[in-house]
Amino acid sequence: MADLKLVNIKKIYDKNVVSVQDFNLEIRDKEFLVLVGPSGCGKTTTLRMIAGLEEITEGDLFIGDKRVNDVPPKDRDIAMVFQNYALYPHMNVYNNMAFGLKLRKFKKDEIKKRVDNATKILGLEDLLSRKPKALSGGQRQRVALGRAIVRDAEVFLMDEPLSNLDAKLRVQMRAEIQKLHSRLQTTTIYVTHDQTEAMTMATRLVVMKDGLIQQVGAPKEVYDKPNNIFVGGFIGSPAMNFLNGKLEEDYFVMEATRVRVPEGKMKSLREQGYAGKTIVLGIRPEDVLEGPVVNDSPDTKIRASIEVSELMGAEIVLYSKVNNQDFVARVDSSCNVVAGETIDFAFNLEKAHFFDEESELRINTN
Amino acid sequence: MGEMKTNPNDASSTVKSKGKKTKRVYITPKTAPYYFLAPSMLLLVIFTLYPVISSFILSFQSMKGSDKYFIGMANYVRLFKDPVLYKSLSNTFQLLIVQVPIMLSIAIVIAVALNSASLRYKGFFRTVYFLPAITALVAASLVFMIMLDENYGLANYALSLIGVEPISWLSHPFWSKVSIITVMTWRWTGYNMVIFLAGLQTISPDLYEASDIDGAGPIKQFFYITLPQLKPVFIFTVVMSTIGTLQLFDEVYILTGGGPNNVTMTITLYLYETGFKYFDFGYASAIAYVLVVIIAVISWIQMKLVGDSD
Repeated sequence: MADLKLVNIKKIYDKNVVSVQDFNLEIRDKEFLVLVGPSGCGKTTTLRMIAGLEEITEGDLFIGDKRVNDVPPKDRDIAMVFQNYALYPHMNVYNNMAFGLKLRKFKKDEIKKRVDNATKILGLEDLLSRKPKALSGGQRQRVALGRAIVRDAEVFLMDEPLSNLDAKLRVQMRAEIQKLHSRLQTTTIYVTHDQTEAMTMATRLVVMKDGLIQQVGAPKEVYDKPNNIFVGGFIGSPAMNFLNGKLEEDYFVMEATRVRVPEGKMKSLREQGYAGKTIVLGIRPEDVLEGPVVNDSPDTKIRASIEVSELMGAEIVLYSKVNNQDFVARVDSSCNVVAGETIDFAFNLEKAHFFDEESELRINTN
Repeated sequence: MGEMKTNPNDASSTVKSKGKKTKRVYITPKTAPYYFLAPSMLLLVIFTLYPVISSFILSFQSMKGSDKYFIGMANYVRLFKDPVLYKSLSNTFQLLIVQVPIMLSIAIVIAVALNSASLRYKGFFRTVYFLPAITALVAASLVFMIMLDENYGLANYALSLIGVEPISWLSHPFWSKVSIITVMTWRWTGYNMVIFLAGLQTISPDLYEASDIDGAGPIKQFFYITLPQLKPVFIFTVVMSTIGTLQLFDEVYILTGGGPNNVTMTITLYLYETGFKYFDFGYASAIAYVLVVIIAVISWIQMKLVGDSD
């Protein structure tokens, strides 16, 4: 088990393409750290630099106390699960898992003990003699995990390991990987573009964009207090709504619509000099209310014309336009609206966020 | 919306097909493939199928002047007692056993080198190694003959510089075989290399990365990843090279003519000489059919041996 430290890590490809810049992070022992971001944000590159599959252009990488920039992958004491599993097609399940141990000259009975153990954890007992070709996607995924488990490495690296599975299997394997982590307690670094995976699995997550860390924190923290507009929009599904408007007196004003900003927040905004300025209001679809509550709070009412309504079961997701800006609300499925209608929403403004229009950073209001 | 659907194109095509209805249509999507296949099938029948059958019949015949008459199995009986045939068979197999492994090993090593990500000017090297395969065999063999000439050749000149006695490259029983193997290897290594290269490019780079992390160095990766992954390609090259070597003709015909004293006589060269030097076409046909059987059996064994385990 080990801590990892990334200090000013930078990756620049041949033609001055900067993939990762100034990556600073300490990863604690036993942590399940998730790197999340849209494609091209540098999350996989970061993971591959930790693995040693990609050279580090600048900066220092420490595993434990040792600087490992120039240590080849095999000597870094890491195990990796690849996006498309990278199982050896000509070896059966047993040999796929045993290969790394054989290369490290482990004794035969030790190899068998470890493979048996991993097999039991992953429920692969009946498949040991099969070749990867004869396995289903989920089974292959398990073998890939098994290959990492038997190594008993300091760090697990996982590069979008679930993205090749179908939706149902993905949810199932997600839980299995979490169980595995709580059982083995191995430091894990997990890359995904799926914010749901990130939220559900991480003990801490790192949101990246354009090679830069946007925010590091526990999932709840990132969800509740997104650093900036990008993080607010990326974490959470459906994504956070952003409305451009102006702070006038105690109100957030968009053309004809005005909603009252709660006192505490307004005070804080005023203190930071945003009174009378344009500002971005962010509100999550689940913090929008509809129906009778609206009538009780005329000051937080907003008129929206519904464009699409999607019934999810317990809830309905309403896609609408508010003052010509896209707006999504998630309301109880008892709400009977159809496309083309116009209805009133009420905002739970206690939960709203305000962002600086220029820097796109979140303004701290509590 | 329903009425809007019929677009002008649809309308015109219905009119057209109505107009043609009276005509008989010979080319339909069902029959069209046969028309396309016909020319090559015709050529195949005339220049391959007919000679194959005709030579099979010929192998049971003998010729006196221009008359042909059946002699039953006599040609085949004669074959089994023919020392030159045994000699040429043995020569061919010696060449096969030595040359094919050498050539394929070199081809695989070059292919792996050319496939490495860090190598520059790949296209240039690929072309250079492949060039012999598209060179006219006769021209190339002639050049080799000149280079290997005992008195004036480049090879012996080079050897003389380091004080080695001249070698009779083309008339010494041992060295003439070495010469043949050299020319064959020069000619066919690049060809096999290109096939290996194509095979290498289908191996997922992930496997190398996974084995990097598992702890394999380049040598172990070659034996544990590259070779097993190349197996189907490898079988193909082994079978093709075996067939090619069993049919070896041009190189020996030009370089040594089968000499000295038949030490470089191959089956096809013997076949050619029997047919076109001694005009014993019946016997030559019988040799050809023996060769066919040998090639079929060996290819089948090779595919069984290397192909079954998967």
